[in-house]
Amino acid sequence: MSRLGFALRAERRRFDQLDWPLVVTMLFIVGVGLLNLYSAIHGTKHAAKFDQQLMFVTMGVVLFGLVAAIDYHLWIRLAWWGIGGVLLLLIVVALMGTRSEAKGSSRWLMVGGYGIQPSEFAKLAIIIALARVSEQLGNTTPQRYAYIALAMAPVGFIAIQPDLGTASICALVATSVGLLVLRDIRPILLIWLPLLIVAPFKWDSLHRYQQNRIMVFLDPSLDPHGIGWQLRQSKLGIGSGQLVGKGYLEGTQNRFDFLPEHWTDFPFAVWAEEWGFLGSAGLVLAFALLVYWCLSLAFRARDKGGAIICVGVAALVFWHAIINIAMVIGMAPVVGVTLPFISYGGSSLLTFFIALGLAASVGLRKHG
Amino acid sequence: MLEGWRASGSPALPILAARLRYLLVVVGLGFLVLLGRLWQLQIIRGDRYREQTVSNVVERSHIASLRGKILDRKGRPLAENRPAFNIYVQTKAFTPELAQALETTLGLSAHEMELMSERIERARGRKQFRQYQRVLEDQGRDRATLVDESLRYRFAGIEVRTEPQRHYPSGALAAHVLGYMSQMSAGELQRLEADGYEADETIGRFGLELEWEAYLRGKKGLELFAEDAHHNRLDDMTAARFIGGPMRVEPIAGHNLVSTIDIDLQRVAEAAVAKHEVAAVVVVEVATGKLLAVVSKPAFDPNVMSGRLSAADSALLMSNPHAPFLDKALRATYPPGSVFKFVTGIAALEEGRTRADEHINCPGSYTLGRTSFRCTHVHGKVDMQEAIAQSCNVYFYNLAERMGLDPIVGVAHRFGFGMPTGLGLNGDGGGRVPTRTWYKNRGGYSAGKATNASIGQGDVEVTVLQVAMAYAALANGGTLYVPQIVDRVESVAGQVVMQYQPRIARVVKVAPSVLSLMTRGMVDVVARDEGTAFAAVRSNVVAIAGKTGTAQVVRLSADRGRSLPAGWHRSKEHAWFAGWAPAGAPEIAIAVLIEHGGTGGTVAGPVVKSVIEQYFKEVKRGP
Repeated sequence: MSRLGFALRAERRRFDQLDWPLVVTMLFIVGVGLLNLYSAIHGTKHAAKFDQQLMFVTMGVVLFGLVAAIDYHLWIRLAWWGIGGVLLLLIVVALMGTRSEAKGSSRWLMVGGYGIQPSEFAKLAIIIALARVSEQLGNTTPQRYAYIALAMAPVGFIAIQPDLGTASICALVATSVGLLVLRDIRPILLIWLPLLIVAPFKWDSLHRYQQNRIMVFLDPSLDPHGIGWQLRQSKLGIGSGQLVGKGYLEGTQNRFDFLPEHWTDFPFAVWAEEWGFLGSAGLVLAFALLVYWCLSLAFRARDKGGAIICVGVAALVFWHAIINIAMVIGMAPVVGVTLPFISYGGSSLLTFFIALGLAASVGLRKHG
Repeated sequence: MLEGWRASGSPALPILAARLRYLLVVVGLGFLVLLGRLWQLQIIRGDRYREQTVSNVVERSHIASLRGKILDRKGRPLAENRPAFNIYVQTKAFTPELAQALETTLGLSAHEMELMSERIERARGRKQFRQYQRVLEDQGRDRATLVDESLRYRFAGIEVRTEPQRHYPSGALAAHVLGYMSQMSAGELQRLEADGYEADETIGRFGLELEWEAYLRGKKGLELFAEDAHHNRLDDMTAARFIGGPMRVEPIAGHNLVSTIDIDLQRVAEAAVAKHEVAAVVVVEVATGKLLAVVSKPAFDPNVMSGRLSAADSALLMSNPHAPFLDKALRATYPPGSVFKFVTGIAALEEGRTRADEHINCPGSYTLGRTSFRCTHVHGKVDMQEAIAQSCNVYFYNLAERMGLDPIVGVAHRFGFGMPTGLGLNGDGGGRVPTRTWYKNRGGYSAGKATNASIGQGDVEVTVLQVAMAYAALANGGTLYVPQIVDRVESVAGQVVMQYQPRIARVVKVAPSVLSLMTRGMVDVVARDEGTAFAAVRSNVVAIAGKTGTAQVVRLSADRGRSLPAGWHRSKEHAWFAGWAPAGAPEIAIAVLIEHGGTGGTVAGPVVKSVIEQYFKEVKRGP
């Protein structure tokens, strides 16, 4: 009994140490996501997606708890296995993934009726591998860069799918981490600068739709029926929300289908239309809080590996949120980047639950 | 913070702590930029976006108002409306597939296809992206059914609307008085947009349709409805929330015009000139100045003009040498010939240059200087009454020489010649009574000018309407009316909105004895066997008084080498007759002109006789 009592007390202490602001902020955003998804799809033929999302949320919460409970050092030890597994999955996708007719890319594996996107999990594997690289592997500079390259190997596979959105997110996350931990940041600049210089010359190798998205971002009138239409309707929806919004389930752009596929890439527009500036600013602040909290966990982490995991998770949430919202409000080209916990889709949702679970795990163990 | 790291003594730690702060700033800035943009979109531009989302959802559709009818004096329709099936396509929905389907289903001509594309292009140019555009008019019930049954289910954004179409039940009858309807040009649309006109709307052209457009047109209604992005109509409850006002504003029908035209008399008058190529008839009520019949020939069918007139038909009408769009009764001007002689007579009597009983000898011609002016034949000694009855030119040449041009001009002006009558329809021509001043810039005045003018030749030009009004004034003792063609304006419910009273242009002050002398002469024209119209106009039904005219025309050099219709001689005289009936108690006055018809008595006379007889036999008695 006394042993059990001791164990319970230990767990109780650990539970008390759980980073509650992080959890509450996350659950708030998850709640917003469900509420918003319901509004986005109720009364449409997609209504069943809400139940699926609810199921994924439930799974996600459980996963979050599990990952938080497990010592993150375990994951760091398994980092190379993770990268290996992800690479394997990406190869399978390349060989037999479901091809999107419209965009000419293969991103999904069908498992039990659900589409799984291995590139989502690659983001996690890369964060953990970077933690491992920075914590203990290699003493010489060439060795460390070799490991970094290995950690980043999935990005290449993702880029050739092609899924430039996810590849860019991975690169941005890695860069964010690198800028923070590398004593010498010149190698990062050495990677990015040539990329930026070469990019215009690689214009022709982009898929037509990718070129279009960039062109249309610069001039929406180029595609008044397609992405241009979507962008315009998105801005109309957000703007017309004004201060307090049109009310829940009352967004016209949403209800009358003026905004196509608003539950995947454009859910923020639905939210902003129905809840106004107060709602949209509230959600932006919630994301800011979540990112801030992850970064503050990095400050408080007990070791460098933990800190890097937290920075990686913070960067992941930050870049996803910033890029998605910027694109919805017309400040960035339309790319397939989801809004954490808000966009419909199991892979994205589970990835963020696991990511925050990792950060929470670091938080739980900050005192050793 | 960073306790753990400090404990591990990693060399990277100081950098990490410093850079984390930078990172926090970057993150903070990133989110601030988003908030700023949201503020801009939702707070600063929110109103505008809110409006745009409403117009996103709300569609406007105008409901055509029913154009007022034009009725004859007894309430019989001259212009009315009938239902027409028009096909509308939403600009956005007009795809090549839809155009193809329309072409094959309805068997459209290349011209119709072209017209359809043109209209859509125009609408696109106006950015009326989602609005319905009329692409085909008056398609008939069969085609409308085809569209309803086979196209509406395959294509979104196409519909058939039943709308009123102008219809003239009597075809070309009184075409110039009525006018017609046609579509506005782009320029007109721009000018009239402020008055609520829209592209594809028709507007009154010519005649009453043009002049009374504002009364006939009524006010368009408006139907608002809401549609989602796929053009599915929203239920009324939801739609009402967006619209926040009435969803339907009923159109207001235009007023009806009750004209003074008598459809029976009009028909008789048109039949009477049927065999002539170019003719004009004006019949006026002597006591009021109300026009009972106005004929201008050749005419056009306003139904054809208002419908889908092909380019070829239109070109044919426009190139017609008889100029069907020139109103021969109200606008075109002609030398009046002898119907003008009463003016010279009155002038001479008033000037004291002659007496009623003075006899002047007519040897068949008259010499002024080195010019010889001919008369029709040797009349011998004639006084004023006989000179009018027999239309002796030499008599009036004499008077002209005695008094010169000015007195003639004065009397002509008093009877309304040389200025518009005030009817205000179809450019109501003013004609010309040449004065000395007028001649100053045209080779100068000479005595011969007055000689010519005295018998309504030379440079005198009048409209048929002016002649009719002047003869009505002669008949009623000198009251010159402003001709009237609209009796009243009525609402659809039949309430009188406006009632027009006869308007007097002026009372021509002529001594009763002078007037009576003139009318006696005109009675003799028909009643006495020496009268120029005895054979052609004398009637058993009613006593007719009047004056014949045979206006010499100078052959136009422009005619040479120009192909004219067979039997059409521009060198032939214009035949005139103007008069009234009954001779002793005038009720109606009439002026008839047959362009290049020949002599007035034999050509214009029978027209007058048949119109007047019909009036007293049938029209006056009423149905």
